[in-house]
Amino acid sequence: MTAKAQDPYRIGRGGGEDTNTGRGEGGPASKRTTVGYGFWIYLLSDIILFSGFFAAYAVLAKQTAGGPSPRELFGQERVALETAALLLSSFTCGLAGVAAERRKLLPAQLWLLATGVLGAAFLGLELAEFAEMIGEGAGPQRSAFLSAFFGLVGLHGLHIGVGLLWLGTMMAQLWVKGFQPQVLRRLMCFNLFWHALDIVWVGIFTMVYLMGSI
Amino acid sequence: MSERETDSGDTAPGDEAAEGEEFAGGTSGYVVGLGLAALLTAAAFAMVNLPLVWRPAVPMALVVLAIAQMGVHLVFFLHVNTGPDNTNNVLALAFGTLVVLLLIGGSVWILGHLDHAMMPMDRQMHGFP
Amino acid sequence: MFGKLTWSAIPFSQPIPLIAAGGVALALFAVLGWITAKGHWPYLWKEWITSVDHKRIGVMYVLLGLVMLLRGFVDAIMMRTQQATAIGHAQGYLPPEHYDQIFSAHGTIMIFFGAMPVIIGLMNFVVPLQLGVRDVAFPTLNSTSFWLTASGALLVNMSLVIGEFARTGWLPYAPLSETTYSPGVGVDYYVWAIQISGVGTLMSGINLVTTILKLRAPGMSYLRMPMFCWTALGANMLIVAAFPILTATLGMLALDRYLGFHFFTNEAGGNMMMFVNLIWAWGHPEVYILILPAFGIFSEVISTFSSKPLFGYRSMVAATLFIVVVSFTVWLHHFFTMGAGGDVNAAFGIATSIIAVGTGVKIYNWLFTMYGGRLRFPTPMLWSIAFLMTFIIGGMTGVLLAVPPADFMLHNSMFLVAHFHNVINSGVIFGAFAGITFWFPKAFGFRLDETWGKMAFWLTLAGFLIVFGALYVLGLEGMTRRLQHIDFTEWAPWLYVSVGGIGVMMLGVASQIVQIVVSIRNREALRDETGDPWDGRSLEWATSSPPPVFNFAVLPRVHGEEPYWTIKRTALESQGLGDEPDYEPIEMPRNSATGVATAFFATLIGFAMIWSIWWLAALGFVGAYATFVVFAWRDEEEKAIPAEEVARIDRVRRAARQAWLDANREQPA
Repeated sequence: MTAKAQDPYRIGRGGGEDTNTGRGEGGPASKRTTVGYGFWIYLLSDIILFSGFFAAYAVLAKQTAGGPSPRELFGQERVALETAALLLSSFTCGLAGVAAERRKLLPAQLWLLATGVLGAAFLGLELAEFAEMIGEGAGPQRSAFLSAFFGLVGLHGLHIGVGLLWLGTMMAQLWVKGFQPQVLRRLMCFNLFWHALDIVWVGIFTMVYLMGSI
Repeated sequence: MSERETDSGDTAPGDEAAEGEEFAGGTSGYVVGLGLAALLTAAAFAMVNLPLVWRPAVPMALVVLAIAQMGVHLVFFLHVNTGPDNTNNVLALAFGTLVVLLLIGGSVWILGHLDHAMMPMDRQMHGFP
Repeated sequence: MFGKLTWSAIPFSQPIPLIAAGGVALALFAVLGWITAKGHWPYLWKEWITSVDHKRIGVMYVLLGLVMLLRGFVDAIMMRTQQATAIGHAQGYLPPEHYDQIFSAHGTIMIFFGAMPVIIGLMNFVVPLQLGVRDVAFPTLNSTSFWLTASGALLVNMSLVIGEFARTGWLPYAPLSETTYSPGVGVDYYVWAIQISGVGTLMSGINLVTTILKLRAPGMSYLRMPMFCWTALGANMLIVAAFPILTATLGMLALDRYLGFHFFTNEAGGNMMMFVNLIWAWGHPEVYILILPAFGIFSEVISTFSSKPLFGYRSMVAATLFIVVVSFTVWLHHFFTMGAGGDVNAAFGIATSIIAVGTGVKIYNWLFTMYGGRLRFPTPMLWSIAFLMTFIIGGMTGVLLAVPPADFMLHNSMFLVAHFHNVINSGVIFGAFAGITFWFPKAFGFRLDETWGKMAFWLTLAGFLIVFGALYVLGLEGMTRRLQHIDFTEWAPWLYVSVGGIGVMMLGVASQIVQIVVSIRNREALRDETGDPWDGRSLEWATSSPPPVFNFAVLPRVHGEEPYWTIKRTALESQGLGDEPDYEPIEMPRNSATGVATAFFATLIGFAMIWSIWWLAALGFVGAYATFVVFAWRDEEEKAIPAEEVARIDRVRRAARQAWLDANREQPA
């Protein structure tokens, strides 16, 4: 009897040498691929962390407890500015990556600096908004809706803040050590991190700010 | 681990494909991505402020624009593509997306149902001194 | 200066925790003193504490887990004896506020600091060996993960003497866990211990997923991986996808408690059921995080001791991946009674019944693996067969609970308690013991004593059946869980039976300890010379026991399923080992104190946050950042082991193999 006849639905082990395909037959992957993939997996977990807060916001968005509603609170000009800053910083971050690939130190540093400045501008705008809201008595303690808002947007802001700290440290390291492989790998991870935060921001400005102002 | 810095047939997420220039390659890819993302963002803001579409359809239009923009970011900034060297990256992304959708959709469904089935908390509380 | 921390935090009025803590402290100081007196600190620091070797880290994980299982078992004894001595007019010996802390600590410790470390430790130790590689993808991160888990365990145990632990159950349901109803530091201990160890678990999940998907020996395609690697992949994918939900939920609870947010409160529109919803969206996948690696262990053990390849390998892989996905669609069955409508309950009830199909496929595959095999029954196999028998009972009661109308009757009853102990005990704990006895010779170079191992097995099995059999009956008679005092005297006989059962289990635990002591004393007689004590089939048995730091002198080349079995057959047929390979220097990652330093600062942060000592928390964050920068700044990440050293070590292994081959010359292949 052939293997096919014994196991017509292929629930058993694979056949000969050639039928088994899949990634990674060539032995362990390179360090760059491994590090990039590991960071990719981390980012997915981070997106799921955000999705917990998104779920909370979706559930609590209507629970204003007699306090201010999204429509009364959110001004679109500031959000538009924040969005522009973050999108541009994502762009400059990508260009820093391209410059690093070509081993051009000064352009890479300048693009990273631009990324940092734009990120800081974003964070400044966001903190100003938070301060204004708390000053108006629309702080997170006011209602479940505001708790969810500060939780979600604050978590994103916290990520941006940590990203800026990382960026500064990495720029210093790039300055001192130049394009070492591990610095290049970290740069790649930072790129992924920063682009992912921009994707999360797309979710936030759509769900929180734009839908809130309909 | 290994001495090599890159592999053939396997690409780190965010790296462009090892073989040749892709259509989203280098600086030009980022420029195209930036343009598309800016366009989609502007469209989303316009959707809310200008009477472009039927009002009840606006939320759905916003969702579509957001998904489109996330796609643009993934392709032009994160260099996710359908090449064989990207299979692992895309599978991981798909799994993550599935969990995100299950979590948000499930929570909204379950707790929306609960709100519907139970007396609202504030009205219930009025009964007590 | 010290926030909420004052002398009144130490419970001088309660003798039980003080005496227990005093005993533990005494034992700890004795051990530390012995280490200092013998001058073992440099060895411990260099070879264990700062080690980034996945084998060492795996062993430390298992050790931590076993100590914590013992700690959780003490809580279990206290709960059983309290209930048996507090029936009718009797009041027992634990006041309610203390009893509530004990059942909360029992669940928290058993799941987070007992079962999880043992399972993660086994994956850490075994997976790289089975994949035929030298270490995990990120060795230093691995060490950090372990030490963060240890830091969480330390915080939980600190709560015994400094302050108090949560009284809210192992999952701190809101609004009971909000400051209004739990103003003390108990819930804060819970939150920070779990957050810190949760970060460790998440990083270890990322590490192992990357290892399995990106680092495998040449030729090892996905469908050539041993089943344990597949289930480890599934479990770690679940860790990566589920633990962030736990972090988010407890983060919201912390915001509620510390900054007056209203995520889960009664007031201002907060939604307490959202806590239950989110925590179980993590909690149900968590069940499979624990059980999937155990399924992998049983697959390896049953296949090895049936001397047959695993039956239905591909269906096993499919069932594992099926469970990974479907485990995210069943979480509502933990709160059917919350008040959602019939269609929500029906959808999740059906999904729950469907997920049992994946496990059913696996059960049949194990049975068919044994069918027609040449069976051997050492201790790991006994644990596996006991699992097959008892897990089915747990699975069936689970499917029963998946039916919403039945769940309305049994929710929060002792029947539920019996059900989940039934699956976790006979699944995870039996799996852990099977795995530990199976791979112990690989880790230490000698086998565990079989007589005491079998004694421990039979006593544990008997005790387990008596305890939880009685609890099933009590549940059907209507007894609810977490009772500090029992008014209904008709339940007394079964409560006495369960106390008797836990006595038998205590004997089982004692036998385990004796087993380890006896085995260490007889280690010369139990020595595993060849590295293959069980006639194994996968690559971990191809190297010596214990394996050298680099695992394999030359990465094995994989030409089919069960690569080591093929290597062994070839060697027996050709009566030779093949030519000696060309040895090359091997680059191994350098030791690093990053992990232990990070965990030190994490403990500071956790402790400071619990007691509101803000300056200390800030100091902890600065310290953690400084550790990170120091690590990022180092230039040399790896050290080379010269080729001569590699050759010397590998020649010893080859000589042992040759001796084995000569001894097996007459035996037909």
